Amino acid sequence: MASNWIRLIIIVLFLIVLTTLPLWASRYAVSVLLLIYLYMTVASMWNLLAGYSGLISLGQQMFIGIGGYTLAVVSMYYGIPIFLGVLLGGVLSVILAILISQPVFRMKGVYFAIGTWIIAEALGISFSNWGYVRYGMGLFIQPAYKLSMSSIYYAAMILGVGSIALVYLLLRSNLGLALMAIRDDDVASEAMGVNIFRCKLTCFLISAFVTGLAAGVLYLNTIFIQPFEAFGIGWTVKLLFIVIIGGLGTVEGPILGAVIFVLLQQFLSEYIGFNLIILGTITILTIFFAPKGIIGTFHEKISVELFPIRRQ
Amino acid sequence: MLTSLEPLINGILLGGLYAVIGIGLSMIFGIMKQVNLAHGELMILSSYFSLLFSQLLGLPPLLTLILVFPASFIFGYLLQAFLFNRVLGKGMEPYLMISFGLSIILQNALLLIFTPDARSLKTGLIIQTLDVYGLLHVPVIYLVDFAGGVLMIGFLHLFMKRTYLGRAIRASADDLSASKLMGINIRKIYALAMGIAAVTAAMSGVLVGMTFTFYPHSGTQYLIIAFGVVIIGGMGSLPGTFLGGLILGISQLVGAQFLGPGFQLLSGYLILLIVLTIRPQGLLGRK
Repeated sequence: MASNWIRLIIIVLFLIVLTTLPLWASRYAVSVLLLIYLYMTVASMWNLLAGYSGLISLGQQMFIGIGGYTLAVVSMYYGIPIFLGVLLGGVLSVILAILISQPVFRMKGVYFAIGTWIIAEALGISFSNWGYVRYGMGLFIQPAYKLSMSSIYYAAMILGVGSIALVYLLLRSNLGLALMAIRDDDVASEAMGVNIFRCKLTCFLISAFVTGLAAGVLYLNTIFIQPFEAFGIGWTVKLLFIVIIGGLGTVEGPILGAVIFVLLQQFLSEYIGFNLIILGTITILTIFFAPKGIIGTFHEKISVELFPIRRQ
Repeated sequence: MLTSLEPLINGILLGGLYAVIGIGLSMIFGIMKQVNLAHGELMILSSYFSLLFSQLLGLPPLLTLILVFPASFIFGYLLQAFLFNRVLGKGMEPYLMISFGLSIILQNALLLIFTPDARSLKTGLIIQTLDVYGLLHVPVIYLVDFAGGVLMIGFLHLFMKRTYLGRAIRASADDLSASKLMGINIRKIYALAMGIAAVTAAMSGVLVGMTFTFYPHSGTQYLIIAFGVVIIGGMGSLPGTFLGGLILGISQLVGAQFLGPGFQLLSGYLILLIVLTIRPQGLLGRK
């Protein structure tokens, strides 16, 4: 009981610090934290798929592209309020996920990974051949200039904190129980009445929605969107790094991974050619020496979890 | 009249090249049940090897193969021996992720060494076209690609069927425990197989370098083509790979003919997604 109170107090104090951050911290610190939230959001959604549902998707960038482009198009061409545009990006991502769910869920394991990647590539090529979104030249999301840094910060914070809470609650729910049963023994769980397809589809749609939302906020921050960047495999590289380093299949993993990733990116930004080489090397070394990531290894040694998903 | 056949014929010829791009990926999958996401980088690395040798020694690109083959073989062998063999038997994810990390490292290392400029392997063949009675024009380089692809696949087929090493590789693919009991050193076999896969990648890398321009980032594009070939034909099936190459080549060039050049890659991807949906194990693959 006591440990639950301590945990709650830590989390609340932490949230108070984060909420008041734009009031006292430097603009640089705010911009770094904003990126951490967004990468944390997208990474924990990938983690929900890869770490808990056994769906290794190499195509999350399709939702990033769709989310970003929806925001750009509706806010620029139709003058729809910016944050409604972000929401629409999430909705369109879910619609895309529903459309592709039938074919991609027929693919298993590595075929699923390749199938999702190729859909993202095909979308990238289609957008670069589409005059409506100015081909490969990309779009400037002009309405985003009017936004203040702190409003983007709060949007990102809501997503970051919200996505972690969402994953935590999902895993504590019946769905989480079913997912763990599937992971441990899919045949037995199906025999006990778990609908595997529906569980995985639910995770896929949730991750599409949140990734689409996060993409909108991400492009509010970058302002410029271009098809080969938005639909590029580079996003998956980053997600993989974040989740592997932090710990695949842990709630805290993507948080720690995103912090490490964004800070590394800041430190390495001067050595532009080397930073991806270093990220790749760290990923490989982590797989060799700490296959469960930092958080997973930590959990094994000391049984303290910030977000325990098992019921006591 | 016959000019409308050009995309079809060029598609078939390009398909021979695509088949050899996919063959290494297919082989590794067939033998180890693993997917090497760094296959495209192995290819482009060989293109740069060839560029280096042809500039240093003044050799024509096809002759540099004498040096590129052993270099690629050794590189592939070492990769498997020191990286991939460490995660054997741990399922699919670690291998997938290590090869992904490796592809990022290689890509950026090439970027640092060779700059992002477009390169090509200079050869006189590129400007020649074969004129069939004034009715049909076929670029000679496509014929070279096709011949190179067919030769490579033919040699690989004979190697797998006739030599001791080939039999050992096939044995370990068919039944891992039984082949271990027969005294086959699996780790060594896997390393040799990766070396051979790297040699096929080298062949395709040099052909691609002669036919198109390449950049340090081109590997990703060819990895997707390799996937296309392998998925259409069926993972681990040699004839399937050849068929997959032809189908992908034809669908790309015919698609480009009807929809415009911007859609060349897209029409290939669409065929691929259709096959993935209807028959995930590929046209000639076993379940």
